[in-house]
Amino acid sequence: MDPFKNRQWVIILIIISVGLIFSLRLFYIQVVNSDWSDRASQISLKSENIQPPRGFIYDRNNQLLVGAETIYDIYIHPSIIKPKDSSAICKLFNLSNKEFLEILKNASSGYNVPYKPSVFIESMTQKEHAKISPYLGQIPSVFAKSKIDRGYPNPIAAHLLGYIRRIDENQFENKKNQGDFFYTKNDFIGITGLEKQYELLLRGERGNINYLKDYAGNKVETINKTPPKPGLSLYTTLDIELQSLGEKLMSNKIGSIVAIEPSTGEVLAIVSAPNYNPSRLTGRDFSNNFKVLKRNDSLKPLINRPVYNDKYRPGSIFKLVQALIALDDGVISPETGFSCNKNIIGCHNHEKPVNLTKAIKHSCNPYFFQVYKRLIMKDNSKNVFQTSREGLKIWEQKIKTFGFGNPLGIDLPEEKSGFIPDVDFYDKWYGKKRWAFSTIYSNSIGEGEIGVSPIQMANLASIIANRGHYYTPHVIKKIADTNMLNQFQIKHSTCVDKKHFEVVVKAMNEVVNKGTGRNARIDSIEVCGKTGTVENKTFNDHSVFISFAPMVNPQIAIAVYVEYGTWGSKWAAPIASLMMESFIKGTLSEKSVEKVNKISQAVILNPNTDFK
Amino acid sequence: MKYRNLSIWKNIDKPLLVMYLLLSIIGYFIMYSSTFKGFNLDDDFWSSSYGKQLIWILVTFFMGCFILLLDGSFIKNTAYLTYGFVILLLVIVLLMPPIKGARSWFYFSSFSIQPSEFIKLTLSLSLAKLLSDVGSRFQEFRTKLKASVMIIIPALLIAVQPDPGTMLVFACFVFVLYREGLSGNFLLIGLFTVLIAVVGIFLKASNSVFYLAGNAISGNIFFGLILILGFVFSFLIIRYFVLPRYRKQKIQRLIIITLLGLSISGGINYVYDSVFSERHRTRFQIMFGIKEDRKGAGYNIYQALSAVGSGETLGKGYLKGTLSNDKYKHVPEQNTDFIFCVLAEEWGFLGSFVFILLYLTTLIRMIMIAERQRSKFTRIYGYCVSGILFFHFMINIAMVIGLAPVIGIPLPFFSKGGSAILSFGLMIFILLRLDSERKVVLR
Repeated sequence: MDPFKNRQWVIILIIISVGLIFSLRLFYIQVVNSDWSDRASQISLKSENIQPPRGFIYDRNNQLLVGAETIYDIYIHPSIIKPKDSSAICKLFNLSNKEFLEILKNASSGYNVPYKPSVFIESMTQKEHAKISPYLGQIPSVFAKSKIDRGYPNPIAAHLLGYIRRIDENQFENKKNQGDFFYTKNDFIGITGLEKQYELLLRGERGNINYLKDYAGNKVETINKTPPKPGLSLYTTLDIELQSLGEKLMSNKIGSIVAIEPSTGEVLAIVSAPNYNPSRLTGRDFSNNFKVLKRNDSLKPLINRPVYNDKYRPGSIFKLVQALIALDDGVISPETGFSCNKNIIGCHNHEKPVNLTKAIKHSCNPYFFQVYKRLIMKDNSKNVFQTSREGLKIWEQKIKTFGFGNPLGIDLPEEKSGFIPDVDFYDKWYGKKRWAFSTIYSNSIGEGEIGVSPIQMANLASIIANRGHYYTPHVIKKIADTNMLNQFQIKHSTCVDKKHFEVVVKAMNEVVNKGTGRNARIDSIEVCGKTGTVENKTFNDHSVFISFAPMVNPQIAIAVYVEYGTWGSKWAAPIASLMMESFIKGTLSEKSVEKVNKISQAVILNPNTDFK
Repeated sequence: MKYRNLSIWKNIDKPLLVMYLLLSIIGYFIMYSSTFKGFNLDDDFWSSSYGKQLIWILVTFFMGCFILLLDGSFIKNTAYLTYGFVILLLVIVLLMPPIKGARSWFYFSSFSIQPSEFIKLTLSLSLAKLLSDVGSRFQEFRTKLKASVMIIIPALLIAVQPDPGTMLVFACFVFVLYREGLSGNFLLIGLFTVLIAVVGIFLKASNSVFYLAGNAISGNIFFGLILILGFVFSFLIIRYFVLPRYRKQKIQRLIIITLLGLSISGGINYVYDSVFSERHRTRFQIMFGIKEDRKGAGYNIYQALSAVGSGETLGKGYLKGTLSNDKYKHVPEQNTDFIFCVLAEEWGFLGSFVFILLYLTTLIRMIMIAERQRSKFTRIYGYCVSGILFFHFMINIAMVIGLAPVIGIPLPFFSKGGSAILSFGLMIFILLRLDSERKVVLR
């Protein structure tokens, strides 16, 4: 008999206990504890956002202003580079051996791993890509991936459109704190202009894809997918032709043009000079170009002057407002005459201002000194300080009904308010009872402390064209399929009765036909306008012109401001005239085309004055 | 002849045959899933890894049938010859160029042969022959020495390759020898060794430092001191409490155990510092939970455990694994050493449990077969096969479910690899053949 036969049970016992331990362990890992299951999901599942395409921007005739441009990122996949590839890569991208090794090192360190492709050239343009694409197919370790960037088929209206850039840390945190979790750190966000104003509509809604990935992170199988909702398209009120003409006319100059359709408040053109090509602020060159535009250019081309610069003094165009308020107040009548007394305030030589029309026609300064005096010092029985106070208070309120002193509410983020001095301001400035009409009379002719932005000037032209009311100027006509926003359909009326406007309109027509604004005449169209020459102590005076046409049923109201333009009729009036001719007639006469070329070549810059 | 042939089919052990076929078929399907990349008609089936695996399985079946026709005595008589032949191969393979750092394979154009897989079979046969020879008695020192040398020679040759996983399997012969009368103390000593080794490696891996009378001493020296202290203490107990006539024997044993403990502890000290590479040390540190290294050395086990755990109770379904599948490759070596992940992920706890039951049943069935033999040769051989399979199963699964450090060792009938499939298959067929003769001959 085998003495060790019972030892089989020891061995069987050992085998069974190992099986038991394994079963318990597996039971724990697979059934009881879900940690490893969660870890498995982390390993194999990946959720990715799908970028929605940003909305496009069109002009009023459905012409594309901002669209999409395909650009290319070039990827390198270090782990599959063959020895013969490296020389081909160096040759194709003009790399030295050292640069190539540097690229390889970058593609294999930090966040990058050699078995996964990573970007080594970002945002290649379509042109650059076309040059290399035939050769890319022969090198499997290098490939291009397309992506969408902002594209500008008509490179105009940079200030209006604004630009987008990668969201920075502060904005990212701010958005998060506001409960907006849309952005990831790689996303772009509108910084200025329409891109900022309508960011929420333009950006669209993010899609999402859940998929199973392999060890290298490659997508293997999609589990589910929510497609992104593309951003909405914006249809602006802009007219591409008019805008381009404006930008051409303003080249080599500093200033603004704003053209408005008076019957709706739609902005037809909004030019800020100097301007820049909007495509410079896209793609790979963004940071370089941005640095140049922002810091190295003393002319500050990034500033949107028509809405942002509210420190412009309006000059003589302000006489129109003074006249209207005075007529409404009854302090003058159309027939009121004053003498052109140059002892009070400077003027040029012109025929006697025997009535209001003549005064406007020749822009007579002493006349409006008197008008303003009557507006401010109504009650001569009172003390001068007191009556000036009361007069200014009423005047300031009335002026503001013309859209001055407050932001108009245009749908652009940069708009500023402008400034109309009031009692408090002068009290602070001079002290109570230390100022009277004699201190503040410069306001009468639009000098002094008044600050007006070009959009407000254009709005004034629009008010007069409409004979007393205006719609808030706006740049968006339609969003996707939804028509203009309600807030832009409200009719704002001024304090002045409609009947008083006809006199001023006539006078403005005289200005263009026989007065200071003869440079603005257009054949077969009755133009109304008013020149302005704003004093400038350091260099040439600024040239201002507001205008609308035709006189009856005006189609366009316009304000032109050319800094250092010497006097109103020299540059601003012809520019406005050409703009209106182009818009109303649809074309320019031969003579006008010649004029456009001449004006666009004229350089009017002040070499030594900083922008204020 | 006619009678003999008939008796094979009549006397063959059907349960073991069925279990073997089940394991082979399940194993093949799991292996297929592990390399499955989606149905693609363009793929050339026979040149893919699952096609090759099928060829190997068919070759195994064919050779198995051939073995069933052989005479049992032929198998026994050629045992030393085949053993010598494979030992020769093990020597020659060391001259081959290394693959993945080990000289384990003979490479042919479309397949490769791993002689270390076959030495397990031939060693089992020759060990059985040695111990069952009429002239040899296990109680004699000569026999024990011969058996030890027979086991140690291939073990050393494999250690040189190096292939620590396969080498570890040779420890299973302790069970065989135990069954044949090796003192139970060896099992206890084995256990003692493992215990000391685990404590020793733990102390090394954790870089433990103890303070004794203000002097910092390393964990291992401290452990040695404890062993010596234990010795002195036990010695005093024996000195005063044990009857004088047993005293000498007890003290002898105490000395042996203490010296063994000290030498193992010292050996580990040496091996850990000088033989192990940083990679091995890190593996131990991860196993003991001293170090977490998800991306580096701990990557395999982290991924494997995730795959196993994600199978949950019922699994994800056949071919539907999302971690261990070849399409995703989150688990490295998923079709060789870590193939159990595929089963556990796709069939869940239920499948894993059935798998364990099937494996245990097979192992125990082989022991039962061994025990019913009148032939000592067949019995020893049966224990050898059972022991080898048990060790492969134990080490492989323990590694995959994080109970042992990562040791490269295939799971029999499942892992990809022709040599292993053929070698394990032949082991079973030979056992079936020998068993079918149990009533005919007494060897």
